[in-house]
Amino acid sequence: MCGTPVNVPDDVLPGELIEHEECGALLEVYQDGGNTFALRRAEGISEDWGE
Amino acid sequence: MRIAVVYDVLRWEEKDIISNIRSLGHEPVPIHVTSFYLDPYSNTQYMNLDVVIQRCVSLFRAIETTVFFESLGIPIVNKLEVLMVTGDKLHTTMKLIANNIPTPRTLIAMSREAAVNAAKKLGFPVVVKPIIGSWGRMIAKVNDEDALNSILELREHLQAPYHRIHYIQEYIEKPGRDIRVFTVGNEIPAAIYRISNYWKTNTALGGRAECVKVCDELRDLVLKAAEAVGGGYLGIDVLEDPSRGYLINEVNGVTEYKNTVRVCKVNISELIIKYAIEVGKK
Repeated sequence: MCGTPVNVPDDVLPGELIEHEECGALLEVYQDGGNTFALRRAEGISEDWGE
Repeated sequence: MRIAVVYDVLRWEEKDIISNIRSLGHEPVPIHVTSFYLDPYSNTQYMNLDVVIQRCVSLFRAIETTVFFESLGIPIVNKLEVLMVTGDKLHTTMKLIANNIPTPRTLIAMSREAAVNAAKKLGFPVVVKPIIGSWGRMIAKVNDEDALNSILELREHLQAPYHRIHYIQEYIEKPGRDIRVFTVGNEIPAAIYRISNYWKTNTALGGRAECVKVCDELRDLVLKAAEAVGGGYLGIDVLEDPSRGYLINEVNGVTEYKNTVRVCKVNISELIIKYAIEVGKK
C-alpha cells in the first residue's frame, strides 16, 4: 500500500497473510490466473468467519 | 492419494495439514478458493482428487465449495450435512435435543417482543447469540430487560437478516472454564480446558488452554453429540453446570486446534488426514 517492496518467503502459498514491514498493511497472497502469485489487501474478518 | 485442502485463509492448521499430508507419503493439493473460479462444466481438473479436506474460515464459502465437490462425487470431510448443522446454532441445538443430549435451555424468537418474552421465561441473565458466527463474536450476556432491549435494537439495525433471529439461552454459571473436546470419527484425540476470568472462555478472546483428560461420561456424551450432527472431525464445546453436569454448548465443523496441539502434544492434523483417507476409500 505504501509502494515499497514486500519480502515474500520462498515457500509462500496462496491465502497466506503477510504484514508489510514498512507500513503494517496486511496483505494476502493469491494466485493470479495461472501459476503467478500476486498480493492484494487482505479482507477483514467477516460475520460468517469462524470455526 | 491426492488429498485436496480447500481453504480461503491459510492459518496454522491448513499449513500443518498440508505438511502432514506430505509426511504421510501422499500428495497435497492446496485449493485456495478465492484465487480461482469453480467450473461445474469443466471439472476434469478435480476428478483425480481422492478426497477433499474442507478448511474454509468463511462458513458460506465452506458450504458452497462443499456443495461443489460433493456434487462432483468427490468425498469431502466434513460433509455438507455436518457443515449445515454445525454452521447454524439453532440447527445444532435441534439435533442435540432430538437425540436427548443435554444442552443449555434455549428459546428462539423472530421479533424483539418475542425475544423479551423468551428471556423472561428463561430468567435473567440470558445469553443472546447470532445463529451464525464464531470465536465468541457478538455474543452478549444480558442481565436485565433494559439491556436486552438495547441489544435487540442494535441487532435490528444490522444488515444480515439472520440478526433478526434471536437465539436466547439460559446463562450457565461456569467454573471459570469450559471444555473443548476434539473428535475425529469415533476417536477423541484431545481435549482442553479453556480457562478465563471473563465469562467468554474462547481462546480467540484470550482464554488459556490446558490439556484435560476425558472421563468416560464426557467421552460418551461427546461422541453421542458428534453422531447427532453427522460425525466427521469436530470441536465440541462443553459446559459444566453445577447441578446438571455436562451440557453440550456448541459444535464446530471447521475446527481450529493450534492451541490444543501446543498444550496436548497430539498431532490432530495427522488424525484428520487418516480419517479423510478412510472416507476417500469408501
